[in-house]
Formats: sequence, C-alpha cells, structure tokens
Amino acid sequence: MNRNYSKFVSLLIVLTLAVSFLAGCGGSNNNATKPEPSKAAADPSPASKSSNEKVKVTFMNLWAKDNTENIATSVRAALAKFQEENPDIIVEEESIGDQNAYYTKLKTLAASNDLPDIFISKGSELAMFAKNQTVASLDEILADDVAWKEGFLPTSFNDLSTAGHIYGVPFSMLATSVIYYNKKIFADAGVETFPTTWAEFESAIEKIKALGITPIALGNKEQWVANSCVLSALGDRFTGSDWFTSINNKAGAKFTDPEFVNGLAALQGLAKMGAFNKDMNSINNDQQKTVYFNGKAAMFLEGSWAIGAVMAAPPEIAENTEVAVFPSVDGGKGAAKATSGGAGSGYAVGVKGYATKKEAIAKVLKAISGAEFAKDLAEKGEPVAYKVADYDKSNVKSLAVKYADLSAELQFTPIYDSYLSPALISQMNAGLQDLLINSVSPEELAKRIQTEYEKGN
Amino acid sequence: MNHGNSLRIKKSTLLWLLVPSIAIYTFVMIIPLILSFYYSLTDWTGGPTKAFIGFDNYRFLMKDSLFWESFHNNLIILLFTIVFQMSLAFILTSLFMSKAMRLKEFHRTVIFFPVVLSAVVVGFIWQMMYSQDYGIVNTVLKSVGLDSYIMPWLDDPKVVIYAVTLPLIWQFLGIPMIIFMSAVQGISKDIYETCELDGCTGIKKAIYITFPLIYDTIKVVIMLSISSNMLVFSHIYVLTGGGPGTSSMVLAQYAYKTSFTSMQLGYGSAVTIGMFILSFGLVLVFKWLAEVKK
Repeated sequence: MNRNYSKFVSLLIVLTLAVSFLAGCGGSNNNATKPEPSKAAADPSPASKSSNEKVKVTFMNLWAKDNTENIATSVRAALAKFQEENPDIIVEEESIGDQNAYYTKLKTLAASNDLPDIFISKGSELAMFAKNQTVASLDEILADDVAWKEGFLPTSFNDLSTAGHIYGVPFSMLATSVIYYNKKIFADAGVETFPTTWAEFESAIEKIKALGITPIALGNKEQWVANSCVLSALGDRFTGSDWFTSINNKAGAKFTDPEFVNGLAALQGLAKMGAFNKDMNSINNDQQKTVYFNGKAAMFLEGSWAIGAVMAAPPEIAENTEVAVFPSVDGGKGAAKATSGGAGSGYAVGVKGYATKKEAIAKVLKAISGAEFAKDLAEKGEPVAYKVADYDKSNVKSLAVKYADLSAELQFTPIYDSYLSPALISQMNAGLQDLLINSVSPEELAKRIQTEYEKGN
Repeated sequence: MNHGNSLRIKKSTLLWLLVPSIAIYTFVMIIPLILSFYYSLTDWTGGPTKAFIGFDNYRFLMKDSLFWESFHNNLIILLFTIVFQMSLAFILTSLFMSKAMRLKEFHRTVIFFPVVLSAVVVGFIWQMMYSQDYGIVNTVLKSVGLDSYIMPWLDDPKVVIYAVTLPLIWQFLGIPMIIFMSAVQGISKDIYETCELDGCTGIKKAIYITFPLIYDTIKVVIMLSISSNMLVFSHIYVLTGGGPGTSSMVLAQYAYKTSFTSMQLGYGSAVTIGMFILSFGLVLVFKWLAEVKK
C-alpha cells in the first residue's frame, strides 16, 4: 500500500507545486517568443560587433500572429517601421491570442515580478500591479515628451491611472458594448428602426422570436462577455455614471442600491423572455458571432473591436449589419446616448525593464501609440485615443463609418472590469452566469457582489 | 545464503545512491508543499509585499461555501467514477476472460486509446458533442424521437456536473481495465479449472472467483481513482470553465481561479492545502473501510 500512498502524495504535491510555482516557471517559458523576423535574419550577420549595444525590449500582447484586426495590423506595421529606423533596439514580440490565457500568464508573471518590458493590460489589473509595485509609473516619460502626452484625448488616461499616477499608455478608444444587428431580420420581423425605448426593444425581441430566430446571440462561456459587453452599458442606463464613480471611490454607493439591482433584473428579464440562445454559457464570444454570421441570430453584443470580424463575414450578413446601443430605460439615471467604453487597456511597463532601459522603452511606446500610428489606425476606421487632425477617410469601410457616426454622438461610461478589482470581477462574472440561467435572483446576486466589494475595502 | 555477502552494499554507499532521488523529491515536492503552506498563512496577492495573517485564511476557508460546493462536486464525480468506471471495467475484464469474446486485442486497444489523449482534446471533443445545435448527443436524441430530452447539456446547473463526469469515466476506463486484466492473468488457471469442474460458470465465476482474488487490486485502483479525481481540472476547465456560475466548479479549479483569476495567491494556497487534507482524509477513510470489510 505504501507505494500507492507515495504515488498519491506525489500527485497532490505536484499540484501544489503547480499552483505555487507556476509563477516561477512562467518566466522561463520562451517558446512563444519570436524575434521580429527582420531582426532574426540580421542577428547572426557579421554585425556582431555592434550587437553588444543593442537593447532588447520585450513586448507581450494579445494579438495572435495571424490576427487581422485593424489594431493588430497597425501595431505590427508601426513596429516594423520602428525596427527599420532603430536598428539598435530589438523588439521581441510574444503574442498570446486567447484573452483568458493571456491574462493568466500576465498575472503569473506579475506574481514573480517578471513582467515584460511592455505589455497590454486592463486598468483593473494595472491598479493591482501598481499596488504590488510590479509596474512602473509612466508619469516621467510622459512628462519628458509633452507633445506626445498632450496628443492623447484628455479622457483616455482615465482607465489607466490609479492613485494619481499614470500606469498605461492608451492605444485605442473602444466601446465594449455595441449592438450589431441584422436589419433584414429586423425588417422581416416588422421592426423598421432600431428600438429607442426598452418596451419597444422587448417587443422587437418577441417579434424576432416569433420568426424562430434567436434575438441575441450570447457566448458567455469565458464569463467576461456578459459583464463587459452587456452589463457595463445596461447597468449604466439604470444607475448613471455617478453611481459607478462613487463605487469606484468607495464613496458610499452600494451594489445593492435599487438602481443596480434593476439593471441586473433587466438583464435577467432578457434571459427569461428567451432573448438569448440557450447555450449562452457554454459557447464563447467567437461562437456567438458564428451564430450571428449564420443568420441564426438577429443581434449580438460585443465591443467595437468586432467591426473587423463583421466586415469579413459573408456579404449578405455584413451588408445588412447596423450598429446601435441599448435603448433608454424608464426611470434610468443614465444618459441614453451612451455606452461603456474608454481606453480600456493600454501598454504598461514592467518595473524591472523600466529600471534599465527606460529610453528604449519610451521610444517603442511612442512608435506604437503616437501620431503616426494613430493616423494609420484612424484611416482604417478605428476609434483612436490620439488626436488625429486630418486623415484619409476613403479607405474606411462602411460599417466602420456607421460606427464612427454612432460613436460621435456617444458618451463613454466606465467599463466595469477596467476598474473593479479582479477578485470582485471574478465573483461578478460567475454570478452573471447564474443570473442568466435564473438560478440566482438579482437581489441575491447584488448582495453577493456587495459582500465581495466590502471584503476588498 | 552465502552469496548474500558479496551483494551487500555499505550503508554509506547506499545513502549516497539515494541522495539524487531524495534531493529531487525534496526540491520538487517537499519544499513547494512547505512554501505553499507558508503562503497560505499570508495575504499575498502577488508582488513583493505579503503580510503574515496566521490562520485567517483557514478560518475563512471553513466557512467558504464555494469551497465546500466544489468539494461536493468532486465527491459526485468520484462517486460516479468509482461506481460506473469500476463496474464497467470489471465487467469488461470478465468478458475478456470469457471465450465468447472475439477480437480481444482490438477491443482492448480501442478501450485503452482515449487514455493517451490529452485532456484538452477530450474536453473539446465532448464540448462539440454536447453542443446544442450541432452536437451529436442532441442529434441522436432527435433521430430516435426523444426530442423532449434535447437540451444544452453544459448550461443546466442541475445536469452539468454529470455531463462533465461522463468524459472522465469514458477517457480513463482503460486504466482500471488494464490493471484488472493483468491481475486476473495472475490468477492460477487451476482455480478456474477446478471451479468449472464444480459447475461454476459465467457470472458465478466472476463473482466467486475473480472478484475475491483481485480484491486487493481493486482497492489499489479505487485509491488511485480517488487521488486522480480529487485533482481533476483540465476537462472541466475546457468544457465549462466551472460554469454556469459555479455549478461545475471543482477544488483544483477553485484553487486555480482564486490564485490566478482573483490573484489571491495566499488564499489560493490555503485552498490547495485544504484540498490536500481532504484528499488525504478520503484515502485514509477508504483504506479503513476497505480493511474492515475484509
């Protein structure tokens, strides 16, 4: 029996080891790291004499190598140009396409204080990293180049600052909750214009359901979709942004406040009336788009980053797609022409790299966030975080134009998971799954979130 | 024996020979366990600062409903695995022993094959099988006219834990079966022949001869099953991520989630240690029960 015991004990200890030491191993896992192709070829060349002076800057991002999103291609283009102009700086990219995997790795690296020189992070993570002193404050390099700092839209640093310091450089302004709808299906259902009140919205959903089509495709397996893309905007309709500011500053507002509970109830109401597909908690956000692209759903909710994917969809879907935001709600305190959005994430800098190669990092940051980069991105029809005076609008595709028109009227409200602590978000996200399948009441969920919120104080 | 002397190794040499394995074991197992215990006494959230908070994490763990819910889910998985996997494996072993079975090699390979698949692959395959619109499970149900049973299998909190147990039972069925078979092959042919002379065949042979003679092996296999099922993680991570809500959360995933999603590394370590104690306790209880039965 003893052998089995030790086998068993060893299995358990392996797990313990995995949990406590993943942190240690993560740093040495360089499998995904590939030097920029141009530099990789140049490295073994006779120029080894000067290679001593080369500075290596690591850049971890969540755009897979074959990602065709506009932001990814713009960043890669800017980096390639930067490499040509600055042969003494080598940018080593590490790309992890899966968002959950990316943030897991990021947090693991943070736990061992091994963050890359430049990486992408959400505001909420940055606040935590800042508390743990694993990210560098960027106040100094921003102050050194006033023109660069002033170039950004004034509100774009909001999501990326904590305790009065800036920890991240924004690269785009995005809405996290945009309703993409198929106007043909709406017309078939007898709904000519997108609803402007909640009652109209609900009746439109009923009509679409009567056609045998899923009104809203939702893929919430990874749990952030219901929060970032639905609740952040819908909740604000009920609570107004002042409520969230108060929550974030711990200035008295509670998650159990009736306004927020009403927001949760509205979300549950949608689920109860069958607005979503039944397998919403077991498919992910890519699969929710697939459902929509197959014409089996009339709407899906995702951030403005999905524009590219929609335009690449089959033409009969892409051409019929329009964008909108949630209609206004009765008695809601929030503005109607608003949706959750902001910089959301930005480039942040690991404290270790910052200590030794501040100048090189600053140069790279400017290349992938500054005027030229922003212009390139804007010409693809993406909302940017940088003031771009005049750019060529001719290449902007139709849906992007529609989005640009929509977003021009919009006011951005806080994205919940850019501000709230990871522990709180994790509780909230799991709870939202429960809420959507009606296994917890809005009041009960609000209480749970509030308990977790108070724990964090 | 006389030549015993020539084979005798000096004690000091023996110790030196053991040093490498002891060193590896210490660094890879013992030290992490101790460190994990140390972390569990702190409020570490990553980064350089951690404060010692004594047993607060454990006090909280005792009252953490999610932890006990996860344990409960582990127990459900464990129970179903032991009951169905073990009995299936035993039945299959008996079949393999009988002369009626044809193509034994082929069947054995097919049944053992899933064991070598990666858990992630298995998770994805079953996720597709359970899919509401395209999944084979619902398609089969539809074709045999059981339309009322069609559902999104991974979305109903009452069903999901059984839905995630099934792939586990399927995938690892080969392990107990192979072990049982090798144990059965160790049973002397004489015993079977004798009992056949006494008129004992088929099921009776399995119950009165095979089962008692491989009882010790079964115990071992069940213990292995307890330890591996307490650690189950990847399948559920891929299939549901613990959802919907927390209805398919298991201990390993709870530890992972606390540590790396919520970044409460101190509390996450406490969860791991709690898991260790519970699993160890389960094995001890089982061992005690099994001994008494004999």
